[in-house]
Amino acid sequence: MAESTLRTTARRPAKSSFWKAIAAIAWKDLSAELRSRELLSAMLVFSLLVILIFNFALELDITTRRTVTSGVLWATFAFAGTLGLNRSMAVEKDRGCLDGLLLAPVDRSAIYFGKVISNLVFMLIVEAIVLPIYSVLYSINLFQPGLLLVILLGSVGYVAVGTLLSSMAVQTRTRDVLLPILLFPVVVPILIAAVKASGGYLTNAPMTDILPWLNLLIAYDVIFTAIAFMVFDYVVEE
Amino acid sequence: MFFFQFQAPPDTSGYMIAGYAIAFGVMFIYVVSLFIRYRNLNRDMSMFEEMDKDK
Amino acid sequence: MQAKPSTLKVLDVVSLILLGVSAYLALVFAPTEAVMGEVQRVFYFHVATAWVGMLGFIAAGVSGIIYLRTGDLKWDRVEMAAVEISLVFFFITIVLGSIWARPVWNTWWTWDPRLTTAAITELIYIAYFMLRQGIEDPDRRARFGAVYTLIGAVSVPITFMAIRLFRTIHPVVIGTESAEAQGGFNMTGDMRIAFFFALFAFTVIFIDLFWNRIRMGTLADKVEQLKLKVMQ
Repeated sequence: MAESTLRTTARRPAKSSFWKAIAAIAWKDLSAELRSRELLSAMLVFSLLVILIFNFALELDITTRRTVTSGVLWATFAFAGTLGLNRSMAVEKDRGCLDGLLLAPVDRSAIYFGKVISNLVFMLIVEAIVLPIYSVLYSINLFQPGLLLVILLGSVGYVAVGTLLSSMAVQTRTRDVLLPILLFPVVVPILIAAVKASGGYLTNAPMTDILPWLNLLIAYDVIFTAIAFMVFDYVVEE
Repeated sequence: MFFFQFQAPPDTSGYMIAGYAIAFGVMFIYVVSLFIRYRNLNRDMSMFEEMDKDK
Repeated sequence: MQAKPSTLKVLDVVSLILLGVSAYLALVFAPTEAVMGEVQRVFYFHVATAWVGMLGFIAAGVSGIIYLRTGDLKWDRVEMAAVEISLVFFFITIVLGSIWARPVWNTWWTWDPRLTTAAITELIYIAYFMLRQGIEDPDRRARFGAVYTLIGAVSVPITFMAIRLFRTIHPVVIGTESAEAQGGFNMTGDMRIAFFFALFAFTVIFIDLFWNRIRMGTLADKVEQLKLKVMQ
C-alpha cells in the first residue's frame, strides 16, 4: 500500500504540487479565518473608525468630497492593511505554523504565494465592505469598474510587498510596530498611483490621464511580486 | 529724475551662511562620531584581548 | 586590527584639502548670482551632497545583492557603510534644499520630486537601521538588511518617477521641478568650475569616508566575535 503511494507521488509532476501547496496554504488561512473571523472584524472596525476620523478631520463638503475621497479610501486601506498583514504573520509565528511549513517538502515560494493570496483575500473582503458603507455615508457611487480595478491592482502590490516585509518584521524584537515603518516608504508609488487613478475615475477624467497611473500600478505589481518571490527564501531560512 | 540703476541682488547671505554652517557642521559631527566609535572599539578590543589572555 | 594603510591616511588629507578648495570656489571664486544673491552658493554643496547620497544609495543596493548571492559578511559591512553615509549626506542635501527654497520661493519645502524622493529615501534608511536593531543573529540581520535594501533600491526610482508624473500633471505654482531649471539661473563659466569641482571633491570625500567606515565595520565585527569567545 505504501509502495503504491510512493510510486504515485514520484510520478506526480512537480508543478502541480507547487500549485497544490499554494492552494493548501491559502485555504488554511482562509478557513481558519472563516471560523474565527477575528482578523476580518478587527480590520473592518478599524477601517470604519478611520473613515469616521477622516470625516471630522477633513471638511468633506460635496465639492471637496470627489477630490478627497480617493485619498481617504487609500489611507484607510493602507492602515487597515498593516493590521491584516501583521496579524496574519504573527499567528503563523506564534502557533509555530511557520516552522511547520518550512519543514514540509514544499517550495518556499509556494508559502509566499499562499500567504499573499490569503492576505489579498482578507484585504479585498474588507475593501468590499468599506466601499458600500462609504458610498452610503457620502452619497458617492463607488461601484465603478475602473475604481474597482484600481483597488484590485493597488491591493495586489501592497500585499505582495507587505507579505515579504511582515515575514521579516515578525522575526524581530519590535514585530508589529516595525511593519508600517518598513512598508509605507516603499509602497509610496502604489499610494500615489492608486489615489490618482481612483480620483481620475471618480471625477470622470479622460482615459489619457488615468492610463499612466494604471501602467505604473501594473509595473509595480509585476516588479515587486517577482522580487519578493525570488527573495522570500532568504527571509525564512533558518 | 530718471537714472539708470543696476538693481543689486537681494541680501540672502544669511541663508548662505546658515547652509554652509549646517553642511560643515553635519559632516564634522559625522567624522567625529567615526573617531569616537573607532576609539571605543579599540578600547573594547584591548579589553577583550586582555580577558582572552587571562583565560 | 591592522594599522591604517598609508593610502588611506593620504586620502584623508587629500579629502580635507579638496573640501577646503571646493568651499573656496563656491564661496569666493564663483560669482554672485544676479537674481537670488548669495544663497545660490548653497547649490554647489546641495548638488554635491546629493551626488554622494546617490553613490551611497547605489553602493548599498549593489552590495546587498552581492551579499545575498555570496553570503560573505564583508558585503554586509559595505552595505551598512553605504547606507550610513548616504543617510548623512542626503540629510545635508535636504536641509540645503530647504534653505535655498526659503528666500527664493518663500517656502521651506517645495515638494520637488528630487527632494521628496530624497526624504523618502531617508525614511527607508531609518527603517533599515530599525530593522537591524531588532535582530540578534548577525547572519539574519545581514540577510534582512540586504533584502530591505534591495526593495528600497527598486522602489525609490519608481517613487521618483511617480512623483514627477504627479507634478507634471498637476503643476504647483510654488517651486516645482528641478531647482536649476526653475527660472533659477544660468551657470556662467566660473560657476561651472565651482560646480564640477564640488562634484569631484565630494566623490573623493565619499571614497574616503566609505573606506574608513568599512574598516570600522570590520573592526566592530572582530570585536563582536572576540566578545562572544571571551564571554562564553
